[in-house]
Amino acid sequence: MAKTILKRVLQAIPVLFVVITATFILTRMVPGDPAITMLGPQASPDAVAELREQLGLNEPMWKQYIDYLLGVLQGDFGWSTSYNGDVMPLILSRLPATLSITMTGLIIAALVGIPIGVESALHQNSILDYVFMVVALVGVSMPIFWLGLMLVLTFSVNLGLLPAMGMGTFSNGVWDVVSHMILPVFCLATIPAATLARISRSSMLDTIGTDYIKSLRSRGIKETLVIWKHAFKNALPPIVTVLGLQIASAFTGAILTETIFSWPGLGTLIVNAVNGRDYSLIQGTVLFTAVVFVVINLVVDIIYAVINPRVSYEGGGQN
Amino acid sequence: MSKLTSKRITRRGFLGGVAMAGVAGAGLMQAGCASGDSGGSGSSATVEGGTLNISLASSPAYLDPAKYTGVYESQIINNVCDTVVQYSMDLSEIVPALATEWTVSEDGATYTFTLRDDVVFQAGEYQDGRAMTAEDIKYSLERSANDSAMNRLDMLDHCNVISDTEIECVLTSPNSSFLTALTDAGNAIVPQEEVEGWGDSFGEHLVGTGPFRMVQFTRDQQTELARNDAYWGEKPNLDGVIFKVITDATQSANALFTGDVDMVTDLKGESLQTVQGDSNYVVDQMDGLNIAYIYMNMVNGPTADQRVRKAILMAVNREDLIAAGYPYGGASEATLPLPKGSWGYDAAVEDTVPVYDPEGARELLAEAGYPDGFSLKYYTSNTTQRLDVATVFQQQLKENLNVDVEINTNDWGAFSEIAAAGQADIYAMGWSWYPDPYFFLNKLFASSEIGALGNGAGFNDPEVDDLLQQALEVTDQDARADLYKQALAKIVEKDPMLVYATEEVCTGLTQGVQGYVQRADQLVYVVNSEVNMSKSA
Repeated sequence: MAKTILKRVLQAIPVLFVVITATFILTRMVPGDPAITMLGPQASPDAVAELREQLGLNEPMWKQYIDYLLGVLQGDFGWSTSYNGDVMPLILSRLPATLSITMTGLIIAALVGIPIGVESALHQNSILDYVFMVVALVGVSMPIFWLGLMLVLTFSVNLGLLPAMGMGTFSNGVWDVVSHMILPVFCLATIPAATLARISRSSMLDTIGTDYIKSLRSRGIKETLVIWKHAFKNALPPIVTVLGLQIASAFTGAILTETIFSWPGLGTLIVNAVNGRDYSLIQGTVLFTAVVFVVINLVVDIIYAVINPRVSYEGGGQN
Repeated sequence: MSKLTSKRITRRGFLGGVAMAGVAGAGLMQAGCASGDSGGSGSSATVEGGTLNISLASSPAYLDPAKYTGVYESQIINNVCDTVVQYSMDLSEIVPALATEWTVSEDGATYTFTLRDDVVFQAGEYQDGRAMTAEDIKYSLERSANDSAMNRLDMLDHCNVISDTEIECVLTSPNSSFLTALTDAGNAIVPQEEVEGWGDSFGEHLVGTGPFRMVQFTRDQQTELARNDAYWGEKPNLDGVIFKVITDATQSANALFTGDVDMVTDLKGESLQTVQGDSNYVVDQMDGLNIAYIYMNMVNGPTADQRVRKAILMAVNREDLIAAGYPYGGASEATLPLPKGSWGYDAAVEDTVPVYDPEGARELLAEAGYPDGFSLKYYTSNTTQRLDVATVFQQQLKENLNVDVEINTNDWGAFSEIAAAGQADIYAMGWSWYPDPYFFLNKLFASSEIGALGNGAGFNDPEVDDLLQQALEVTDQDARADLYKQALAKIVEKDPMLVYATEEVCTGLTQGVQGYVQRADQLVYVVNSEVNMSKSA
């Protein structure tokens, strides 16, 4: 297993290299001069030229690229012009805020979505199944931005139960923190919960139709055991894959959710970085997200091997 | 305006000198509740204490006066710091602030200020609340003139300290816009020890002499201010002010409804309508200090011919452009390249602007040698609003003149480069700045500005140049206004641009907010020589 992990980590290096290169090129292809963006349209050409010089934008592109690459290798991800600070500490300082809502959202999504999917599969074509699946379809189709605003309108404006925006602080009590999290977490959990419900249902349906489950049942083994110990375990791989993808896309969802709820996490950081043409910060956040993707993929692969012994990465394929 | 995102877009420039491509509105024409006290009943006794929560549509990044870029940042700076002089709340005249009086030398190049002797800085990390003197004015102004990339005081050569309470500012050449420039938050007075002590992070620990001191700046969340008990002016009624960042327009209205904020700046679009529709809240609306326009190339292409420009002016119905650009209201019709709120505005010139007359436009175009139309490249920034206006313009030109308009939308940076370089047949944007006509007429029509974004169309008229220069050298405001009015008339005679709208400054308030005075430049002063806001429960 250790060898597998090492191999996968090494494989990630070229991926990250491509990400760094592509981000570097893309940020420079986006129209808009960072100096003009920072100074505003009324800035004199002299001031713009001076700032370009300060930002190193007058260097040849290849030199900027090499400098950036060498910096990254030494752990220096550059200087954020719009936040006036080193990029990596900035990202790390915002990470807890984002993780607090994305991870809570995903845990809730898994706890709600997977059992619903399994129940639907077990009661296929029942009223319950139809209701769950219609709800899941609505959930999957809901634009996150719209959902957020509807939640605020209902629970904050009309009912006055929950705060409409911002992040609570522990100095105001635990409820302040929790109450501020409820709506953004709900927002972030909806789509993954619906997606997980749908994939769990179809994966379970595939599994419970197989011969070995039928034979387990024919041997009189307790139904709960058949379902959760045997069928569910076999239905897990696609669910884990989808869950992994959802973790990664939760970061995308966070951009919209954080904007709506004025949540000071990575999402607002990314939006401000792009708006301010803050090259280093854009590159840093994209690279960071790429690393998250790579790590999650690796973790998913390892979990695969654990939950399904037929999957082996060492023997060169399944046996 | 449009630069960056729509939020930044809109109000990005302004005081710091920004031109907004999209912005809004002009003058003090008052619509809606208009200016004056607003908010609650206004009749109850002033309440002391409490914290006023104000929403900002963009996240302040640079609060160091020398570095700030957007009006949302100046809102905070203006309540923490003071300037040497300031505009009266109705923007009609320059009034004392840190300076009690001033004189101008005969040649108009030297300004001598007498300063208050009772001003102290808020205590900070590097000084304990010492007295503010002429040395601080010299330091702050020269820093803005020499070290700031924002060019907010480029006319200043140097300052001479005469005594603790007297200072002389020497300009590079006579420039009557100097006093106006001094009102900018970018030229606020700050203590050298704090600036140098904090270095790049001074903005996060801003110290000034204003009515409130900065308690905490939390990027992308809020900036908390508390009353400065050592303030030289009237004691602020409020204990504090919190500026909260709410970038989503719908959410800013929701925040008002839920009580998260007492006041929403920059209310617009559907949110404006939502708040207007609720009688529990007050919406203050007045024409802003801005214009939205379509500028035609004066040098190249068919529009170099004045008959073509005039035909275009006559072929477009402004009301339709406004309906497209501002479907939820928030803008009024404008025709002149100077906002009504500027003291150089001359309503008499409005009559000389060609009126909507498609038939006459067709005849004029035929006379110019284009009976079958032609095609034009139209450039604007890539915001929905700009595109909607462009589409209606395109339709009307096709329908009324058989002119094909090719719409090109770009990111702000790319757009401004193309427009400034004179490569556009037509370009559309907005312009917003100070009440001094210099910041509109010179920037948009002086030949010296050709090559900059303001005069990217290449307007070049020696008579206009001459009037604008004279207006810069004369120091009396009435005399300057006369010169600008003449220049305005001459400019409009040339039919250079289609000015169609002025965006309104719209502020949503709860009934409890007392003493708020709306300004066309959209600046919020919580406390100054004319206002002292308060908040009842």
